[in-house]
Amino acid sequence: MSKSLIPSQALLSTFSRSLRTDKSAAFTAQCLRLRLAPNTGRRTFSSSEPRMYNTVEEARSRYRSGPFSWKAGILFLCSGASLILYFRYEKARLERERVALATKGVGKPKVGGPFSLATHDNIPFTDRDLLGRYTLVYFGFSHCPDICPEELDKMARMIDLIEESPERKGMEKGMLPVFITCDPARDTPAVLKEYLGEFHKEMVGLTGSWEQVKAVCKAYRVYFSTPEGVKKGEDYLVDHSIYFYLMDPEGDFVEAIGRQHSPEQAAALIRGHMGDWVRRNR
Amino acid sequence: MGWFGSSQETLPTPKISADGAPIAPDRSQRARCWEHRDAYFSCLERNDIIDSIKERDKAAKECSAEGKGFEANCASSWVEYFKKRRVVEYKRDETLKRLQAEGAQGTYVKPGQAGKP
Repeated sequence: MSKSLIPSQALLSTFSRSLRTDKSAAFTAQCLRLRLAPNTGRRTFSSSEPRMYNTVEEARSRYRSGPFSWKAGILFLCSGASLILYFRYEKARLERERVALATKGVGKPKVGGPFSLATHDNIPFTDRDLLGRYTLVYFGFSHCPDICPEELDKMARMIDLIEESPERKGMEKGMLPVFITCDPARDTPAVLKEYLGEFHKEMVGLTGSWEQVKAVCKAYRVYFSTPEGVKKGEDYLVDHSIYFYLMDPEGDFVEAIGRQHSPEQAAALIRGHMGDWVRRNR
Repeated sequence: MGWFGSSQETLPTPKISADGAPIAPDRSQRARCWEHRDAYFSCLERNDIIDSIKERDKAAKECSAEGKGFEANCASSWVEYFKKRRVVEYKRDETLKRLQAEGAQGTYVKPGQAGKP
């Protein structure tokens, strides 16, 4: 600013001095215009005050744009854009890591835990069988009117999306989809086999005694309202929580996936965790 | 309406699985049940009936054919569940509309996140 002020102050003082001496006023003003002309360039005919300001600004911007070239500009934009992309990626990764590690270690809320059930082929299945691969656990019952079938269709789509993904290739085993019934009285192994066969061949149905199912629901913090000791052929519904539980290869809970996630969003979320896992354990 | 011609008067007896337990309705049975549910509900809508359990007599008078089709193709626990859920959803939509009219803003959480199965 000071640089630009010096000439203008000098000009103003000449101008005011010339105003005091009436005779030379017209002459000095003319001189002033002549002296300004080379500086202002094509702005000669605009009003005098902004003209002086603009001149200085123009000079400054010309000075500033001195080292600028197209190459420098493109380089600047490219490095900026790649930095933004990198930060975004890292932010998403750290967020996933935070979610995944939140349930590890001491003093953290635990979802999941030991259980002992049987598969739809009547083979014993415990929490040990979940280890070594990501597992997606869903609780439901086969006589469910509309939400479970919708969610199981979603799950089937998720299974396919993940199986095709590059992240799955980095894992030794693919994701294991598990359906645990909340209604053991009606959902025998054979019923689950028939029922789940309609959705996806990879799905593993788990059932057991009422006490065993109660225990696994408690471990997964699943609320359910199956009446104990129902009579055969009785028609009733089971109220239960409707979340998918993603468990990591160490058997720790990672994240819950709810009704608001589309199969594509859910698959992207799981793939993100799988990719992190592969990078961490390489 | 075409599909009433082929509908049974009562639910078909469920298939019995290898270990002797009745199998839950399969995909096509579910679809049939939902079709009849939708037909019944659109009849209720035409007749301005919200709660078909409270307004049982009116519903039976206006929508008896659809009601019979609904009950013949869905388990009775499903019928009751769908009827109740219709009321709940109606009330939810009304509340949302009222809140929007009052100028409330916010994110709409998809229904069913903590509901019945």
